[in-house]
This record gives sequence, C-alpha cells and structure tokens, in this order.
Amino acid sequence: MSTATTATTKWWNGGKSPFNVEYGKLMMWYFLMSDAFTFGAFLISYGTIRFSTNGWPDPNEVFQSFPGLGSGHPLMFVSLMTFILIISSVTMVQAVKAGHEMKKNKVVINLIWTIIGGAAFLGCQAWEWNHLHAEGAWWGHNPFLNADGTQSSTNFTNYFFTITGFHGFHVFSGLVINIVMLIMTLNNTFEKRGHYLMIEKAGLYWHFVDLVWVFVFTCFYLI
Amino acid sequence: MSNEAVLHGAATSHDAHGDHHHEHHHHETFISKYVFSMDHKMIAKQFLITGMVWAVIGGLMSVLFRLQLGYPDTSFPWLEDLLGKWWAEKGHITAQGYYALVTTHGTVLVFFVLTAGLSGTFANFLIPLQVGARDMASPFMNMLSYWFFFTASVVMLSSIFVETGPFSGGWTAYPPLSALGDASPGSKTGMDLWLVAMALFVVSSLLGGLNYIATILNMRTKGMSMTRLPLTIWALFFTAVLGVLSFPVLLSGFILLIFDRNFGTSFYLSDIFVNGVGALPNEGGSAILFQHLFWFLGHPEVYIILLPAMGMVSEILSVNARKPIFGYMAMIGSLFAISILAFLVWAHHMFVTGLNPFLGSIFVLLTLLIAVPSAIKVFNWLTTLWRGNIRFTPGMLFAIGFVSLFISGGLTGIWLGNSALDIHLHDTYFVIAHFHIVMGVASMFGMFAGVYHWYPKMYGRYLNNTLGYIHFWVTMIGAYLIFWPMHYEGLAGMPRRYYDYSIWESFKNFVELNKFISTVAMIVFATQLLFLLNFFYSIWKGRKVTSQNPWGSNTLEWTAPINPGHGNWPGEIPEVHRWAYDYGKDGREFISQVEPIGADESHH
Amino acid sequence: MEQSEVVHIEHHQNKNEVRNVTIVLSVLTIIELVLGFMMMKMEHGGTGRMATKITILVLMLAKAYYIVGYFMHLKHELRNLIMTIVVPLALFVWFITAFLYDGNSFRNLRNNYDPHFKEQSTIKATPKEHKSEEGHGEEKKHTME
Repeated sequence: MSTATTATTKWWNGGKSPFNVEYGKLMMWYFLMSDAFTFGAFLISYGTIRFSTNGWPDPNEVFQSFPGLGSGHPLMFVSLMTFILIISSVTMVQAVKAGHEMKKNKVVINLIWTIIGGAAFLGCQAWEWNHLHAEGAWWGHNPFLNADGTQSSTNFTNYFFTITGFHGFHVFSGLVINIVMLIMTLNNTFEKRGHYLMIEKAGLYWHFVDLVWVFVFTCFYLI
Repeated sequence: MSNEAVLHGAATSHDAHGDHHHEHHHHETFISKYVFSMDHKMIAKQFLITGMVWAVIGGLMSVLFRLQLGYPDTSFPWLEDLLGKWWAEKGHITAQGYYALVTTHGTVLVFFVLTAGLSGTFANFLIPLQVGARDMASPFMNMLSYWFFFTASVVMLSSIFVETGPFSGGWTAYPPLSALGDASPGSKTGMDLWLVAMALFVVSSLLGGLNYIATILNMRTKGMSMTRLPLTIWALFFTAVLGVLSFPVLLSGFILLIFDRNFGTSFYLSDIFVNGVGALPNEGGSAILFQHLFWFLGHPEVYIILLPAMGMVSEILSVNARKPIFGYMAMIGSLFAISILAFLVWAHHMFVTGLNPFLGSIFVLLTLLIAVPSAIKVFNWLTTLWRGNIRFTPGMLFAIGFVSLFISGGLTGIWLGNSALDIHLHDTYFVIAHFHIVMGVASMFGMFAGVYHWYPKMYGRYLNNTLGYIHFWVTMIGAYLIFWPMHYEGLAGMPRRYYDYSIWESFKNFVELNKFISTVAMIVFATQLLFLLNFFYSIWKGRKVTSQNPWGSNTLEWTAPINPGHGNWPGEIPEVHRWAYDYGKDGREFISQVEPIGADESHH
Repeated sequence: MEQSEVVHIEHHQNKNEVRNVTIVLSVLTIIELVLGFMMMKMEHGGTGRMATKITILVLMLAKAYYIVGYFMHLKHELRNLIMTIVVPLALFVWFITAFLYDGNSFRNLRNNYDPHFKEQSTIKATPKEHKSEEGHGEEKKHTME
C-alpha cells in the first residue's frame, strides 16, 4: 500500500489525484466549503444586524429552561445538546475508522449510536422550539426584551429560528444520510464494493454539522 | 489500505468504464443520448442551446425597451397585438412592462446566458477534452446540473406569463421592492417565481462547479501537470471556485428574503410605510444588508462571466497568432489575483447607499488594484498578437474584439471604482455603458469566439465563414455605436432605469441619440439571428471537417476523433509531454502536447 | 517524504487521538460554559464582558480546529489538500470585518440622524415583561392562525 507514495511522488503531474483522495471525497470537501459560506453568510448577517441595533436580548434570560426542571437554568439545556452532538461525532469517527478496517459489525454499531445521537439532538431542538413558541416567540414575534430593558426588534427570534432551523435541517439530512449508510452496510453493499469510503464522506458531512453547531452555539447562546 | 486500493485502482477502472461506454454508445436510446445524457459534450450542447434560447428572449426584451426609449412618442399598435395589454397599451410599452422587461433582461442575460450558457457550455465541453479525461468526475451530477438549470429556466419563463407580471424591481432584487408584495405588481407572484428560479439556478451552478473543480484537479491525464494546462482550463477552474464560494452567500440572502416575504420577519425591512396599507410592523432590519449579501455574490459573478471568456480568448489568440501565449505564468497569476480580488471589492456597488465612507475608501483601494492583473492580461494578449502570423478566422476576430472591448470597458471601471466620482456617475448611463461593454458584450464576444473556434469539435462541421465575418463586423461596430454614446449621456447625468426621458428638459438633447442607439440595437439584434441561422444550418449542412486538427492546435481535444463518442478517445487517453503553447518553435508551426520532447529541442 | 508518512500514520495514530480530541473538545466546551456563567454577573457593555466574549470566540475557533483537523481528518491529509481548503477560508476575514464594520456604522448613522430610532432604543419597556406572560396566550393564538 505504501509503495505508491514515495519521497519522489510528483503529486501534480497528472494521472493521479494531487491530494491522494478520490473525487467524491474532494467534492464533499468543496461542497462543505460552499456550505460553510452559506452558514457564514447567515451568521455574519446576524452579526451585522446585531451590530446595527442598539440593544439585544440576553440569551441567558431567554434560554433558561430545562425539561422537567422548569426555568432558571441558563445554558444547561444547550450544553446537553452540544455534548450530544459532540458524542455523536465521536461515534461517527469510530464508524469511519471501523470502515477503514473493514469491520462491518463495528461500523453498524457506531452508526446506530450516531443516528441515536442525531435523533436525540433533533428531539432536543424540537422541545426547545416548542417551548419558545409557547412563550410567544416565532418568526416575526419576539416576546423578549433587550438586556437593558428596552423593546427588542423581532430580529432576535427571526435569526434564531432561521439559523437553528437551517442547522436542524442539516442535522436531519445528515440523519437521513446516516440511515441510508446503515442500510447499505447491513446489505453488505460496502463489503461487496471492497471499501467503506461512502461512510467517510457521510462522516465528513456529519462532522461539518457538528462544526456548524459550535459556531451557532457560541453566537446565539454564549455571546 | 482500502482507500489506497480504490485510489490506485480508480484510474484504470475509470478508463475501463469509459471504454465500455465508447464501444456501446451506438445502443444508446434517444432519451439517454440527447435528453438525459451523461456525456459532457452533449450536456455542453444542451447548455449552449438553452443559453441561446435565453439570449434571444433577453435580447428581444432589450429591443422592446429600446423601442420605448428611442421612440417614446411613436405608437406601435402591433405591440399590443403581440404582447397584450399588460405589456403594451395603445402602441406603447407600459411602465410596468418596461420595468419587467429591464429586470428580466438583466437576470436572464447575467445568469441564464452568460453564466450557464457560457461557463456551463465551455466548462462542460472543454474540461474533460483538454485535461484528458473520459468525462467529468461525476457525469450524473453533471446531468443534474443541466436539469436543475433547465427547471430554473422553466420557472423563470413561467414568471413572464403570470397575471401580475414578472419581477420588475431590477435584476439586483433590492428590498423593499423585492420583499413586499404590495410594493409593485411584479413583487407578487413574479418575485416568488424569480426566487425559486434563482434558488434552482444556484443548485445547478454548485453541482456544476464542484464537478469542474474535482475534474480539473483529480482527472488530468498522465503528464498534464497544472502548468501544462491550457489557459482555458485555468480560467474555468477559477470560475468554478468563484461560483462555489459565492453563490451560497446569495442563497443565504435569498432565504432571508423569502422569510421577509412570507413569514413576517424583518431582516431587510425597517421603517416602512405602504400607501393604502399604512405603517408596517417590520422594524430593525437593514436593506443595506441585502445589498452586501447580494454583491458578495454579485461581484464575483461578473468574473464568473468574464473569466471563461478570458481563458478562451487566450487560447484562441495564441492558436491563431501561431505564437505561444505571452507570459503564461503571469496569465495564471493574474487570473488568481482577479479571483481573490473579486471577493474583496463587492461594496463598490454600494458607495452611495450610506456605506461607511472609510470602509468605502478601502473598497476603492481594493477595486483599483484589479486594474493591475487586468492590465497584465491585456498587455499579454497584445504581446501575443505582436508580430504573430495571424489567421483572421471569425473566432480570432471575436477574440481580438474581446480584447478591444475589455480595454474600453475596463478603463471606465477605473472611473467608477472611485467613490468620489461614483457619487456623480452611479445609476447613470455611464454605468450601463461600462458594464455592458466590459462584461456583457465582451463576454458575448468570448462566447462567440469559443463557438466559432470549437464548433468543428462540437459538430464535426464548420460554421459558414462569410456569415461569420458579417456577424463579427456588424456586432463589433454596433456594440460600440450602442454603448459608446451612453458614456456621454451618463456624464450628462442621465439616470438609468427611467421609463421616459422625453419629459425632462435637460435630456431633450439626447432624443436623437436615443433614437440612434435604439436603431443600432435592432440591427445588431437582427444580426444575431443571422448567427443563429448559421449555427443551426451548419449543424446539418455545414462544410464537413476532414482533418482531426483543423486549426493546427496543440491541445488535447484535437487528438480525439472528429466526432468523439462518449469517452472521447477510442483507445488509451494520450499522455502529455509538454505545455499547450509550443507554436512556432524550432521552425515548426505547432507541436502537439502529446509529442514527447525531442533530444535536441530548444528550451521554451 | 512527509506525504508517505502521512499515509502510514493515519491508521495507527487514531486510537488515542480520538479519545484525546474528545477530551479536549469537552474541556473547551466546559471552559466556555464556565465563562458563560461568569459573564452573567458582569454588567452589559463593560470591558470585562467584552473580553470574555472574545475569549469565548477564540475557544470556538480552537474547537473548530480540533473538529476539522482530527474528526474530519484534515490534519492527516496531504498538505496540498489542507491548503486548498484552509486558504479560501481566509476570505471570511474581510467578509466578517466589512459586514460588521458597516453594521456598526449603520447604527451610528441612525443614532446620529434618526431621532426616532434613538428615542425608541432608550425607552424602557418594563411593563412588557409581565405582558409577555399574560400576552402569552394571545401571541400563541396569533401564530396558530
């Protein structure tokens, strides 16, 4: 396996990938870059509007509920969501690794854990949306006041629902992709193909979803 | 280890796949060969012909609104018969019809003709052929890319026929005109369809762009290092990168706009009062934000349009001057510099929106920097022509015309790039003249050059030369006659987008000039129909290509058979041994890229 | 030479690496949360709050680095690939700077030249606090429609 890559390999000379990856993975990477610009544009728009507004609600007063515990617990629920997503990313890494080692059972188990994690995250998000909706927050409706007690524009909730919604949509599509991967693994599609590179690409997507959450989490809940 | 197995098996398995296709391509059905084709050459032709249909529609629209601008007092009763009451009443284009026409003209020409029709066509056609690949990295995604574009086209076309008319707030779709249905008739269903069409278009361009990048990087044939690529491929590569990184920002902007339109948000809205409705509750948004998001795509977009033309012109100039392109590495460097700068200068479209003046000054600096790589390119083209043994084929003439237009239009860009001058010139005919020459007509010329030059490869026949020469000279002279006088109108303060100038005393002296411009525009449009006739006639009846390499060109596409099947080369893909520009070297007219370097060959 | 090592290493190094990165990410998140809790007691618009926010942003970038570098495996790819992915992201620097700068400038413009805007953002809307609870049902009904 290592003979092909020697010290004198001329990566750019044609006839091979200059990056030592197949085209699908390359396309996935560049797709993720373009998606990063989609999310980037959303978050930067949010920042721009926030910068052009005098007051803004304090996230700790808005997001302070925990199912079963009631309100007064800022940051707790979103921390739970963050950890769920990180852990599901870890199991995805394990699934990809198991794929490299051609261990079907390990792939299946880790994929199932990843899917559970993703579903749990979506469940949390659904609860949070529902809770906020019950408080009167929605697109075009913002019941929360600015941190300094002045009237807030609706853009706080507008951006919150749009961006977390778009992220949730990505989680959902990642979930669908992972379920398809699971079915394909169970059907021995990858065994027959001789490699699990599809899982690697699905993994890239899933980690990207995790990555975006890092930014969304910071921008909406922390600062 | 599995990864390596796939990687090193990939080249061979792909070849086998291609061969397989080639052997069996006779068994393809009509549907799989002409409709849902996965052959990059067929997809290129689909893009080209769809683009041409759009060019005719968009061009016809410009003729119609030029009719209004040139002859505001004359009545053309046939207009109402032809277009109906909404567009034309009592022989005059209506005001709403006029705005719908200019908006659709802009959108269609910028996105559907010069983005999809130009880069879609030539990226698809040339990338696999010139890098030495059987097809795109993912032929299936390539097919999807076309069909998303087709769907976008259908939706956009349908918007012209809805009761309230197509969107009519300008191709830039600034809110609040685009955000509020009550703002104008076109802001209702027409705008919804416009947004859907554009969203589909973004998907199409992403699918295409990812494919082009992956193909250029991963699928080059043996020996085709990046610095041996023809400049067409470099240009198409940067075009794809620009698209992949900037279209998603537009998509985000559109998603926010959709929410503003339909879900009561106020991302772009603040302090709005609508006649008959009253004050709107939307507060706290910023209309300038949309302009930022739009132009973050919008500026790279002009280079998405221009770069493929630049690449093709470089190639065609070199082939037909029988000289190597001057400053090959400088050409790549300037393409790269233009691509980077394209992302940094968007706010020069917004100098008078209330943009922070200090920020504006930085945008001026960055904008003026673009002059450097642009000038490098211009001088390299001119030096390539210098003392060349020039063959004036129609393709070559259009390529030279491109250089001329790029210079004329580019120089006025330096004026407009200054925020102080822009206060006077913004939204006048000066701007119209600038961007039509440098981006619109110049890119059209690049496209024509490409079509004339690669037509023999596309259809195995030549276009008619005489018609080509007529086409070139009328279009070239016509383009200058149309757009050059507009500079004077703009300098005199004549604003763009007005429906009727005859009621202003200050623009009375332009009445005859406007008439003249409109007349020339109609003649030029008619000449394009001549080109279409030539194009479709020659597909079936044109003079047949008899030699594999009719232009004596070095690049790989001319080593393929005259009518290549799916898979491009019947046998092995040729290996490449030299760069693409060995013209007139060691006393030989041209040396193909596939020829190994001789023992006593001089160094280039 | 570097490249050939990469191909070898990628399958051996993984074991501890995933565990370590998980720990690092968790620790970074916990630090962020601690800072978040600390920030609640700081006054709005103060320098302490601003400094904390900047620290959180730096930690965010660190987390992004670990996710992209290790989970997405970019660190172990060829240098060529790393560069083609990381370099274009530099565009974000100007993207963010220009947008936020102009956003801020827009606020200043309005505060200076739009008295209504300025006035609106100084009126305390305290009674609304209660209203958000009593208006709860009404809001809900409105959105349900």
